[in-house]
Amino acid sequence: MSSFELTYDGANLQKENTVLEVAGLKKSFGGLVVTDDVSLAIESGSITGMIGPNGAGKSTLFNQISGFYDPDDGTVEVNGTDVTGKQPNKIVQEGLLRTFQTPRRLEKMTVREAMLVGAQSQLGESILPLWISGAEVTREERANLERAMELLEFFEIDHLATEPTTSLSGGQMKLLALARALMAEPDILLLDEPVAGINPTLVNQIAGFIEELNQEQGYTFFIIEHDIEFLMGLAEEVIVLNQGRVLLEGTPETVQSDERVINAYLGDM
Amino acid sequence: MSVIQLAVDGIVYGSIIVLGAVGLSLVYSIGDFPNFAHGDLMVAGAYGGLVANLGLTQIGLQPTSVFSPELLVTIVAGLAIGIVVAVATHYLVFKPLDSGPIALLITSFGVALIYRSLIWMGFGSSARSYNFPRSGPIGSIRDATGLAVTNRMLVIVLATAVVVTTLHFVLQYSMLGKKMRAAADNGDLARISGIRPRETVLTMWVGGGALAAMGGVFLGLHTLIRPLMGFDILLLIFAAVILGGIGSIYGAMLGGFAIGLAHEMTPVIPGVGSEYGAAVAFVIMIIILLVRPGGILGEETT
Amino acid sequence: MNVTIPKTDHELGSTSVVLLGLIVLLGLAILTGALTVSYATYLIALSGMYVLLALGLNVQWGYGGIINFAVVAFWGLGAYVAALATARTSPLGLEWHPLFALVVAIIFSVIAAILVGLPAIRLRADYLAIATLGFSEIFRLLVANETHITAGMAGLAGIPSVLEDLPFDTVTTNLLVVAVAGALVFLFLRRIHRSPWGRVMQIIKADEDLAESLGKNAFSFKMQTFVLGCVIMTIAGVYYAHFIGYVDPTDLDPLETFFVWVAVILGGSGSNRGAVVGAFILVAVLEGTRFLTDFSIFAALSTGPLRLLIVGVLIVLIMRFKPEGLYPPRDELIWPKSQTDTEGQS
Ligand SMILES: Nc1ncnc2c1ncn2[C@@H]1O[C@H](COP(=O)(O)OP(=O)(O)OP(=O)(O)O)[C@@H](O)[C@H]1O
Ligand SMILES: [Mg+2]
Repeated sequence: MSSFELTYDGANLQKENTVLEVAGLKKSFGGLVVTDDVSLAIESGSITGMIGPNGAGKSTLFNQISGFYDPDDGTVEVNGTDVTGKQPNKIVQEGLLRTFQTPRRLEKMTVREAMLVGAQSQLGESILPLWISGAEVTREERANLERAMELLEFFEIDHLATEPTTSLSGGQMKLLALARALMAEPDILLLDEPVAGINPTLVNQIAGFIEELNQEQGYTFFIIEHDIEFLMGLAEEVIVLNQGRVLLEGTPETVQSDERVINAYLGDM
Repeated sequence: MSVIQLAVDGIVYGSIIVLGAVGLSLVYSIGDFPNFAHGDLMVAGAYGGLVANLGLTQIGLQPTSVFSPELLVTIVAGLAIGIVVAVATHYLVFKPLDSGPIALLITSFGVALIYRSLIWMGFGSSARSYNFPRSGPIGSIRDATGLAVTNRMLVIVLATAVVVTTLHFVLQYSMLGKKMRAAADNGDLARISGIRPRETVLTMWVGGGALAAMGGVFLGLHTLIRPLMGFDILLLIFAAVILGGIGSIYGAMLGGFAIGLAHEMTPVIPGVGSEYGAAVAFVIMIIILLVRPGGILGEETT
Repeated sequence: MNVTIPKTDHELGSTSVVLLGLIVLLGLAILTGALTVSYATYLIALSGMYVLLALGLNVQWGYGGIINFAVVAFWGLGAYVAALATARTSPLGLEWHPLFALVVAIIFSVIAAILVGLPAIRLRADYLAIATLGFSEIFRLLVANETHITAGMAGLAGIPSVLEDLPFDTVTTNLLVVAVAGALVFLFLRRIHRSPWGRVMQIIKADEDLAESLGKNAFSFKMQTFVLGCVIMTIAGVYYAHFIGYVDPTDLDPLETFFVWVAVILGGSGSNRGAVVGAFILVAVLEGTRFLTDFSIFAALSTGPLRLLIVGVLIVLIMRFKPEGLYPPRDELIWPKSQTDTEGQS
């Protein structure tokens, strides 16, 4: 892994390369503190993993970062812009995109239609330009369609382009979610359990896709995953969240062998 | 008219709304959809009572007052029809649908139209009334308080009080009542803890149908019996359910009286006449939906 | 990279066949003397109005999954603004030109839709249903009771007919106007639906959070849909006032709202041609019940309840057996021109 040391060195030095910076995020539901003073920073071009037992607050952290929950305390910065408490759609516009742990419903859409929605700031999303600059809208549509097909090809599901999304398998849905997220060309992608419940072959395949996207195209990933093996070959750094707190950060190897991690998992599972 | 008189009228009208609201709230929380046929279900009960009432007259029984066995027969007949219609509709329409709340909501509107049209076809569009003598305000009450309270008003309020109290004890102390409350509070939890949904769903329709029918009979007793009166009261009942919090049976009782009072007491608001009684109730409902959709007694959820 | 974009076929739908069938039926009815010509044209003009209403509701429910149980109120807003602004008997005594009144009605509709939508659009679907129905009833009560403005239960008569300046008779003008309005609205909706805008609406209908996570402002899109649908309903109302020449508060019966719902779900939610066909079938059912009572078995029944019964049974049966409607949306929401192969163009 060549990029490993590179990023590791840069972590302390180059502040301007930070895509996502989270400071002191706190959230509780009723009396239950779900994330407690979570701080972390993610460098551009890196892959960061996050593990933690069920209910540790991982998804809740993502929900706060992406604007679905308002944090009780703390700040979130994307590309240096404070996005704390902003609407999810505004945070996407700052360059941060997230996927969901549970697949979302997509009623009566074909795969490529679903893909097209991922594209950002489309002219044709407003009613007026559809009428006054039709040619441009059409050009934009063609370009987006082409990009959609390229991405589907990359993920090897282009044969499903005109199939209804309702006919996809669980694994294919995950691939579609990933491909659609890339339509937005985000600066950082937050993936919530991208390989949960997927057969091992596809898991390896997805790891390959993510690695390629990271290495060849420089995409930044922040990935929640229970399967530490999946993160082993992929992430430079893994953050362990336990009962809402960052327990430990480090390379996958150090994390895997850490006693506290083993205890946290065994104790809670 | 004095404010206290308006409040008395509000309690009477509120009693009728309470009977409708408790049933609707049960169905809304356990059946998980707003049943737009509930108002017309009340009307079905009212006409069920009318048939029995007219039958009694036919065989020569002439009630001398509203406090009579004939009233009991009228109510029981109404309840029977309400229960049969509610349960039959469940098995014929709602159960086979097995769909989301919105599909059930739309379907329930179709059901409402079917009830309404069948009643209209069977009984004509003109207003009917139960054969009980209409007496003026009770003299002793008027002399003592200056308030106009008729026998019918008394019957409605007292009977509702009895039903509500009975319901309270059933809900609080019987096994079935506990199951119903559990199911109403939290459908998922009830399912997990092994309370058989089939039983609760059936009880819900029996209870909802019976209470609706009773409300219908009292509505007919209070005013007149018209085939189209169901829709007029439906939204008021929704207002009561929402005010009290969906699934909260005590909330529905409280909401029912509150909406009844609001409906009757609008003339108290300067510049607003009684013709806006319903509008005021709807405004309250919309405000509750916007600021506290869980209702005043319900959970604070959005 | 050489990308081939798969294409979908575009045959001429069977929609036109159904509509043609209805027209032929109407023609036959006239020839055999079952219908008079004037009644037949009245039916078509009325259907045109329901087409507009169904298209408006389809934008809200079909595209965006927004429940609106206040269809009759937004329609009534149009009818009443038109009547109050143009009728001789209007207590306001304005007697404006109908086109000016139309513009004012649309402005009112936009304002009302925003005032209702701003707070309500965020509500859960079932709450939105109840809230909009409540709003509709409040509107009806206001119209019925604010007699000094609306003439109350007396209603408003003497509304000029549609575009009197055109060199045709009233019947022809009515038909012409509603046909042109219907066609324009249909084409307008087709364009905005099969576009990025339409696709965003589709995602929002399925899952609002997903739409937000993809950078779409769900609230703003839903507001646009709501306002647009309401404006179309208002236009239908304006047309109705000039077409019938008389309005009163009984026109604002919430039942009308549910008639429009029947048209949309019967036709197929989300499908414009479905809305058109649904509207025609609805009028056939509503008006056809008049003739059913001519047959001996139904002779004892009056039209009112029979009509309700048929509509009620129709709702229950569609929801049970064909919830997607007769003409569910079929096309991908991609404008045909942007799908043509780009190979060989560069
Ligand atoms: N909206 C909410 N309201 C109340 N409690 C919530 C809410 N969202 C999350 N929680 C609670 O917060 C805790 C953490 O949930 P979260 O989904 O973040 O865990 P997680 O680490 O993603 O777990 P998993 O690995 O199972 O996905 C849980 O106890 C959950 O019940
Ligand atoms: Mg999670």
